[in-house]
Amino acid sequence: MPNGVMRVVAGLVLGLCAMLPAIAVAQTVDEIIARGKLIIAVDTTTPPYGFLDAELKPTGFDIEVATKMGEALGVPVEFVTVTSPGRIPALLTKQVDAVVSIFSITPARAIQIDYSIPYAGQSAVVIAPKSTAISSHADLVGKKVGLTRGTAEDGILTAAAEANPGIEILRFDDYASLLQAMVSGQIDAMGGGDYGEIYLKKAQNGDDFEQKYKLKTFYFGIGVAKGNDNLRQWLNTWLFTLKADGVLADLSMKYRNQPLPDLPVF
Amino acid sequence: MQTALQFGPVLIHLDRLLAGVGQTIQLAVLSILLGTVIGILGAIGRSFGPRWVSWPIAAYVELIRNTPLLIQLYFVFFTLPLIGLKFSSGTAAILALSIHLGAYATEILRAGVQSVPVGQIEAAKSLGLSSYRIIRHVILVPAVRAVYPALSAQFILQLMGTSIVGAIAAEELTAIANNLVMETFRSFEVYIVIAVIYFVLVQAASLIFAGLGRLLFRWRS
Repeated sequence: MPNGVMRVVAGLVLGLCAMLPAIAVAQTVDEIIARGKLIIAVDTTTPPYGFLDAELKPTGFDIEVATKMGEALGVPVEFVTVTSPGRIPALLTKQVDAVVSIFSITPARAIQIDYSIPYAGQSAVVIAPKSTAISSHADLVGKKVGLTRGTAEDGILTAAAEANPGIEILRFDDYASLLQAMVSGQIDAMGGGDYGEIYLKKAQNGDDFEQKYKLKTFYFGIGVAKGNDNLRQWLNTWLFTLKADGVLADLSMKYRNQPLPDLPVF
Repeated sequence: MQTALQFGPVLIHLDRLLAGVGQTIQLAVLSILLGTVIGILGAIGRSFGPRWVSWPIAAYVELIRNTPLLIQLYFVFFTLPLIGLKFSSGTAAILALSIHLGAYATEILRAGVQSVPVGQIEAAKSLGLSSYRIIRHVILVPAVRAVYPALSAQFILQLMGTSIVGAIAAEELTAIANNLVMETFRSFEVYIVIAVIYFVLVQAASLIFAGLGRLLFRWRS
């Protein structure tokens, strides 16, 4: 692309960025403390990691990790709500200091952003009504399979659909819509986190669903802007102590009702 | 800025985006056609029908115009199955979009019907025209002509409104763009590309509606 055109486009994007209300360009731990607040992107539509409680206050595994991060730094936390596809742009535009939102660590994402060591992990599973016999990808042929757009389940099940023609994939924008589609019978099976059952059980016909088979275990890291080694190194150190003190294990039982899996580090 | 724009990884998926354009056009065209039919019937029923016809139409118009399109989509896709009405994503999208446009078109066309002078209708009656011919030639055509700019603006909004049906897993340009964002992680580039595509689509639609207006209403200026 010619340099001139490139410059115009880059100028336009910069101009658009400049119009956004709250650009928070804090890079280092010192800058965050000097500013007096920590800005964290969370998703409040991903129970049990991020959701709104009865008083409509954000709560969940991720929210509590973010709150503890603010406590450790001695500053209050300002939550910015993002959806799953909005997580990387929030970091690229420097609107937030970090993303704590079931951010599975993948090499593709690590091209655009940097990750801390994992602070949680969970398995993606296929969930379907008890009356449906499903134990592998092959059993999904001829069925409507729902998932949340852009999640790791999306990658695995999309590949499965290519290998097994006849699997119809329906992509939803958030987990709440996906669960609703399962409950209302708009899909025959869904790919989602292993905690999904807890939430399905709250629905009127929730007892009809069960986990069928495991797709993969994922590890969640805290996302920071590419090259922000100052904040990332602090995060790694802080997460190490959080894990050593058993805080993460307690959170896993509290919100997921499942023990914390072994968390490898890098 | 650390991220240089790279359109290459996005443009190699242009075929998928173009397939999305096709689905967007299909959603827009089908829902505009259906919505206009609802609008015409609604406007006639609301203007000339007995109370048991005009009141339910008024309630429908108010209900739809005072609730967000996204909620209407959710209602058709997630709630109707509870009473046994199950539609696929694509069908539910077309249905919700049509019902949505139908309410606005009813109101716009009703304004057009009201703009027809009473004397013109009385003149037609005294000439002995049948009710059908009066409604069609003496009322509807001048009515549509009077509100055509407002109607085509609503159609343009409809075209852009199709961009949210990804919420119920229907496929169209924005949903495919969101898939591409998650695959390539090139969100700026993807959204710039689809912004350009939408711009071209809307410009083309505006030209078509303007040309159509000139063609249809040429006979009296």
